[in-house]
Amino acid sequence: MSIQSLIMNLQRFWAERGCYLAQSYDLEVGAGTMTPDTFFRVLDKRAWKVAYVQPSRRPTDGRYGENPHRVQKHFQYQVIMKPSPSDIQQIYIESLGALGINLQDHDIRFDEDDWEAPSIGAWGVGWQVLLDGLEITQFTYFQQAGGIDLFPVPVEITYGLERLEMFLEGKDNIYDLNWSEDVSYQDLRFIEEREFSEYNFSLANVRRLKDSFLSNEKEARLLIDKDLLLPAYDMCLKCSHFFNLLDSRGAISVTERVKMIAQIRNLVSQIAEKYIARESSP
Amino acid sequence: MEFILEINTEEMPPAHVKTALVQLKEKLKEELSSQNIDGKQIETYGTCRRLVVVGDFAPSQKDREEEIIGPPKAVAVTKDGTFSDAAKGFAKSQGVRVSELKVIKTERGEYLGLKKIEKGKPSVDILPKILPQIVSSLTFPKMMRWGESSFRFSRPMKNILCLFGGKMLSFSVGGIQTGNSTAGHKIYFPEKIIVRSFREYKETLRKMKVVIDQEERRTMILNQIVRKLASLKATVHPDEDLFEHIVYDVEYPHVFLGSFPEEYLNLPLEVLSTAMREGQKVFSIVKDKKQMPFFLGVADAYQDSKSLIRMGNERVLRARLEDAKFFWEQDLKISLKNRTKGLKKTVFQEKLGSYEDKTQRLKKIVSYLADKIEAKKEKKQVVQAAEICKADLLTEMVREFPLLQGNVGGLYAREEKYPALVWKAVYEHYQPVSLDDESPASLTGAILSIADKLDSIVGVAGIGITVTGSKDPFGLRRNAQGVCKIIIERKLHFSFSRLLDKVIAIYGEKVQEPKEKIKSYCLDFFSNRLRYIFERQGYRYDLISAAVSVGIDNIYHSYLRLNALDSLKESPSFEPLIIIAKRVNNILKDQPLFKINQELLAEKEERELYTTFSIIKNNILPLISKGDFPQAQRIIFRIRSSINKFFDNVLVMTDEIRMRRNRLALLQAISKLLIQVADYSQIVIEGQDSTK
Repeated sequence: MSIQSLIMNLQRFWAERGCYLAQSYDLEVGAGTMTPDTFFRVLDKRAWKVAYVQPSRRPTDGRYGENPHRVQKHFQYQVIMKPSPSDIQQIYIESLGALGINLQDHDIRFDEDDWEAPSIGAWGVGWQVLLDGLEITQFTYFQQAGGIDLFPVPVEITYGLERLEMFLEGKDNIYDLNWSEDVSYQDLRFIEEREFSEYNFSLANVRRLKDSFLSNEKEARLLIDKDLLLPAYDMCLKCSHFFNLLDSRGAISVTERVKMIAQIRNLVSQIAEKYIARESSP
Repeated sequence: MEFILEINTEEMPPAHVKTALVQLKEKLKEELSSQNIDGKQIETYGTCRRLVVVGDFAPSQKDREEEIIGPPKAVAVTKDGTFSDAAKGFAKSQGVRVSELKVIKTERGEYLGLKKIEKGKPSVDILPKILPQIVSSLTFPKMMRWGESSFRFSRPMKNILCLFGGKMLSFSVGGIQTGNSTAGHKIYFPEKIIVRSFREYKETLRKMKVVIDQEERRTMILNQIVRKLASLKATVHPDEDLFEHIVYDVEYPHVFLGSFPEEYLNLPLEVLSTAMREGQKVFSIVKDKKQMPFFLGVADAYQDSKSLIRMGNERVLRARLEDAKFFWEQDLKISLKNRTKGLKKTVFQEKLGSYEDKTQRLKKIVSYLADKIEAKKEKKQVVQAAEICKADLLTEMVREFPLLQGNVGGLYAREEKYPALVWKAVYEHYQPVSLDDESPASLTGAILSIADKLDSIVGVAGIGITVTGSKDPFGLRRNAQGVCKIIIERKLHFSFSRLLDKVIAIYGEKVQEPKEKIKSYCLDFFSNRLRYIFERQGYRYDLISAAVSVGIDNIYHSYLRLNALDSLKESPSFEPLIIIAKRVNNILKDQPLFKINQELLAEKEERELYTTFSIIKNNILPLISKGDFPQAQRIIFRIRSSINKFFDNVLVMTDEIRMRRNRLALLQAISKLLIQVADYSQIVIEGQDSTK
């Protein structure tokens, strides 16, 4: 039992349901939802099925490798199906079966948990999926993105790989997980967690981060004017990461926070609008 | 004939299920009656995955008798008794022979016409037309779309079962075509199965591990809890909301008893039970008000034969408690006093400043209020509490469990050995969070709670934000209700309008609206809240108006006034007094104020009335300021005979202008006195409209 066999099982399962298996996006993101394979593809009217692993960074969740559950980088398994199949919930339940979980022996609950990302004008309706009380998945029917009604409606399934693996291996500490037969999570990630926590909380240079935020924001605006939407969106992702770092440095006042979120949202909304206009013109 | 409708969905939030069931029943009844179909025994059942309505409906619409009025009899029948052309024309237009026309008596006279009986259509033809519309008209607090449809519902619909008299009713709604089958528990029995009657439906589902009746599930859960707790001699830490949530959240309840390591018992009960409820929706178990190292969970399962559900939950809870313990220990490293320094950077409201500003205002308000209610002993402590009460907003614990704000601060203050009156005030200062919540048990808590809430209400009003029907972003209605509740329960006497003046003055330049405007807005806002509270307590609407419309300078007195009116409303003297008050009001309408000149009291009856009035006045003024409204009221009843004699024998509106003015002045004085007890003219007496 290992994270990599979990990933392989999910890959096989969702490939068999017609998903294209994307590779992880090569920029820092807070969640799989933010990568172009989700963000852009849910906006247009075409059918879309994709599945991929996405490393997700949340600098404020760092705990120097000392907390058994919290890490500043974790791995999500992201699935998008558009339009949402009518039996998607049953398919999801089957996917847990495919991981070797005998659901007859467990309590699986879909607990109301609507999703909202104000910075990209997006929201959806759905649940956190609890398996014997453990949150293993976010399950969301997207309703809007970039402030625009989505049609057809995409469904997003985001498995928390570490959570799921802790359940499968019956372990209480994330660092005790197996990545493969021979390599443990501790081997792969412990030093990274310690070093990045140090960086995120203490050493990230506030002035340079603020400068970077501004210059990327500016770049994004220029690119939007040139209709280069994918590069423009990359700049937004970078801004978002710089913002998160500044936040973990405790360097953002309340008014600044509101302003920076509005700046990102504004750019992302423009990108979404332009993308939709481009996709709907012949 | 038996009717069954079952809408199967993905998991709806329990609150959605409840509102949908209420709407389904209402709308179905409404539609049936407008369609003339008799519907009896309409019952609703539901789980998070299904909405069910059953009923006994007539097989067809009631026959409808229709009267069609033709020409007046005088025109239709000629003098010699034959039918006129008008009658023949009418009969022809209705497709009947003239001889079939009958005389119909109406209010306007006799007409010729006919009675037609329209045969009711079979319900089988009507129901498929009205049901799609009923289902699609259901509204939820938040609605969604799915797939490729623009249909909106709480969560995606998966299946609709609809039977009438054992046969399937065919229609489609939200992209779902109805059928005659249902499905069982999503894990154990997801396959579809055909049913023919409600009895069969219910029993089949029970075998497939779904109990559709919420009351039955409630009983199942309660019975299992009792069984699990019997040997521990313990009880569940009461949590009605969580219980209610769970009743709808499971289709087949299985209660399990889990445990956690005793080392976490050092955490306060509030923290433990919140950690259990918020994250995991399990109940904490207490004995003699102390947490035991156990919890109860309710799974959507029929068994836990391998104990995997219990063990899984135990593991998750341990992680949560470990977090809570970490927060508790970390938070205690910084004293509340030290923490308050950070409040400068925490925004209370953009225009109203930081929580540090709020803290400074609270200190002034509580100190003023403590003086006014003569809480000398408590004054020092409540000021001390005000100083630290917002510090917990900066703790990890409150960041994790926002609902524990106040409680957490109080618990940390207790750990820091603040006096009981201080930490309790901090602990309780958000209470009551609703009218059903308890008010602060400590006087210091009551004072701080009133100050905190009033500060928010005045501040928000002061920057021109008004609360409207749907908009109340700061929860100010609840805040105002909380203030009223505390004042009434604690029997606090003080001038509310002067307290408002004080709070407005403390805000100073921060509030931009004119001071008088803020004050009158707040007084209005509070009287509306007070009316709402009284209505909720079941008082008569007009009595509430009589008590509240005289002003709410003393909120506790408003309550006493109302109580006095309520207790004396059956007294034989009550109605006559109201008639008198209304009569006095009518006479005085649009009159300028006059002054009484005793020497002008010419008639015996007006002199007697003046004497009675003076005696009553001298007697009741002290009673009013004491708040003894029942006694004041009883004394006022005594004015009746004098005033009636006055009205019987003295002409108020005499031509003699000085006399007239003097008599009006006497009545004005009486009216002014009455209104100190209540505005009697607001009270409705049977057979009379209320006059405003």
